[in-house]
Amino acid sequence: MDDLRAITRDVDINATKISARRVQVHYGDTHAIKNVDVDIKERTVTAFIGPSGCGKSTFLRCINRMNDTIDICRVQGDIRIDSDDIYDRKVDPVQLRARVGMVFQKPNPFPKSIYDNVAYGPKIHGLARSKADMDEIVERSLRRGAIWDEVKDRLHAPGTGLSGGQQQRLCIARAVATDPEVLLMDEPCSALDPIATAQVEELIDTLREKYTVVIVTHSMQQAARVSQKTAFFHLGSLVEYSDTDEIFTNPKDRRTESYISGRIG
Amino acid sequence: MTTLAFAILLMASLAGYALNRRAATGIRDGGARLHSVSNYHGLYALLLMLVPVIVVILIWLVLQGPVVNAMVMSALPAGTMDGLDTGQVDLILAEIRSISGGRIFGKPDPWKLAAAEHLADLRQLAALSLVLLTALLCLAIMCFARQKVTAEFRARQAVERIISGLMIFCSVVAIFTTVGIVTSLAFETYEFLRLVPLSEFLFGLNWEPQIPIRADQIAAAGAFGWIPVILGTIVITLVAIVIAVPIGLLSAIYLFEFAPKRIRAVAKPLLEILAGVPTVVYGFFAILVVAPAIRSFGASMGISVAPNTALAAGSVMGIMLVPFISSFADDALSAVPRAMRDGALALGATRAEMVLNVLFPAAIPGIVGGALLAVSRAIGETMIVVMAAGLMANLTLNPLESVTTVTVQIVTLLIGDTSFDNPKTLAAFALGMMLFLVTLVINIFALRIVRKYREAYD
Ligand SMILES: Nc1ncnc2c1ncn2[C@@H]1O[C@H](COP(=O)(O)OP(=O)(O)OP(=O)(O)O)[C@@H](O)[C@H]1O
Ligand SMILES: [Mg+2]
Repeated sequence: MDDLRAITRDVDINATKISARRVQVHYGDTHAIKNVDVDIKERTVTAFIGPSGCGKSTFLRCINRMNDTIDICRVQGDIRIDSDDIYDRKVDPVQLRARVGMVFQKPNPFPKSIYDNVAYGPKIHGLARSKADMDEIVERSLRRGAIWDEVKDRLHAPGTGLSGGQQQRLCIARAVATDPEVLLMDEPCSALDPIATAQVEELIDTLREKYTVVIVTHSMQQAARVSQKTAFFHLGSLVEYSDTDEIFTNPKDRRTESYISGRIG
Repeated sequence: MTTLAFAILLMASLAGYALNRRAATGIRDGGARLHSVSNYHGLYALLLMLVPVIVVILIWLVLQGPVVNAMVMSALPAGTMDGLDTGQVDLILAEIRSISGGRIFGKPDPWKLAAAEHLADLRQLAALSLVLLTALLCLAIMCFARQKVTAEFRARQAVERIISGLMIFCSVVAIFTTVGIVTSLAFETYEFLRLVPLSEFLFGLNWEPQIPIRADQIAAAGAFGWIPVILGTIVITLVAIVIAVPIGLLSAIYLFEFAPKRIRAVAKPLLEILAGVPTVVYGFFAILVVAPAIRSFGASMGISVAPNTALAAGSVMGIMLVPFISSFADDALSAVPRAMRDGALALGATRAEMVLNVLFPAAIPGIVGGALLAVSRAIGETMIVVMAAGLMANLTLNPLESVTTVTVQIVTLLIGDTSFDNPKTLAAFALGMMLFLVTLVINIFALRIVRKYREAYD
């Protein structure tokens, strides 16, 4: 892997945004996450890699409590964002999800207009005081999603009419519209062609200025290109977690080494 | 004897199957490459025998009766039938038949006894020839099918052709039934329109379907304007839909999204039981419970309410339609992709917001399609309204009055002794025709919407 340019940016000065301790997740009898401890840094892109079924999505979904929507799913352990326990009784998952945005593997715009797609989050959380306010939020979010120039003339066309890459950037714009602190992305490029992927990757790199980004990916190149920290999961356990260039050039664990050199997974 | 014929056919076709299969397997074991697997060779023999021979037997059974009768008649002594009309001939035939069946009344003429014996002989002969014919046909087809078995024979295609032929036949039966119903309706409607002008039927405001019994009867000429009748149907349908749609929809949404698993497991089958209750039983409910309740409630409010109200019939019909609507809504809701729900939830929408803003709009076309189908069911529903709505045609839109519906009128017009040459009876067919047209239009509309909605997420 010669093209893995090590991104040597000093991220350790950043504070910890999310800290997970002894996290266990069960789906019925399936033990999907086993005792995971991890500290995710603020304003950093953290990549989760690992073979299929190792629990990357499951762990990601613990961070915005999307697992609550699955009946058989049980989450134990301690996850804190800015040292607030997000599984505390007092925490309303609905409010949490406004702070922790999520982008899915398949672009899933609502069958509404582009404008309404982006405005949906701010509307339900009451973030805009006026129509002009909302217009501004929509424009800012679409700009952050790097899609403003492509859609500014057809804001009221249906969001489902965009191309796959545009839809995914629209979904990113929709997620940042509620002004979250954390952005979770579950294989955001797996349904996209190389050009759209490059656009989204570029976008992720700029999102880092403002947000804490966690991205699940199956592409090692992508992890190396966009992330500063990488966590390698295997069979539900967090095997190795360190700086991305460290993981790719000098993995500590044999399993990590065999995965990134293509022997398992 | 007929049973024997069928038994022979069954045995022969199974034998043909085994024979061909073995022959094909033999060819394969001999080292040749079969075009079709041996099972298809067997099925080929089976179907080739089963289908045509069943047809032959059925045709035979249909023709046997008339042919035998004709033979008996022509063998009667010359002159016995002279000057008799068909009714009397039928009577004699029936007598002969009952004599040959062993039921002899009084002392029949000797020629009748002879004829009865002849009839019995002929019947025996016919049955015997049927069995023989079946056996011969089976044998011939078996040989034919057996000789077809070669390595190259495309048995699979042949079998598929026979099966697709059968399927085409079945769909043709369904289509022809529809065509038959419509033509018979159209024919009688045409007869009706020769007696009552179309404009009077379509635009008349009076519905008094009686005919003069005596020629000089005063004021007995009927009026055949369907407006009051269809108005009654519309009122009752509206009441039913106004009740069924919200209840069905909300219960579907609750069961789909909010209900705990245990409640869903109980409530869904219960709703489906509601769909299985016979409409007569709903009719009882309407008469015994709903109508008196509405009446006494109206009385307590100082409103006078007719004993048979559109409201009673319509609301019970609405209850009947609840499972219909809710199962349609359930389908529509579950067809919304999970990604859509997750998208809304991940943005921090509550479940209610998610249902209201995302699930529901996406499911609306399906729900509307279901509601339209429910409308056409409500329009066609007969039993509840016969029992709970009135008989008098009332030109009103007030659901607290007694109204009548198209289906009720059809029933009452056709009850009792009817002859098919007066407008009273024929009016039933004209009403039926209009009902058919109205529901047809609504159904086409509904199916359009449902289909359009199906394409929405692919
Ligand atoms: N809804 C669910 N119900 C039951 N089991 C589940 C569910 N979702 C995930 N699992 C199980 O949890 C384990 C982890 O799944 P997860 O989706 O987190 O894997 P992943 O690492 O994201 O895989 P992939 O790379 O293929 O997306 C798997 O064994 C999976 O079968
Ligand atoms: Mg996954």
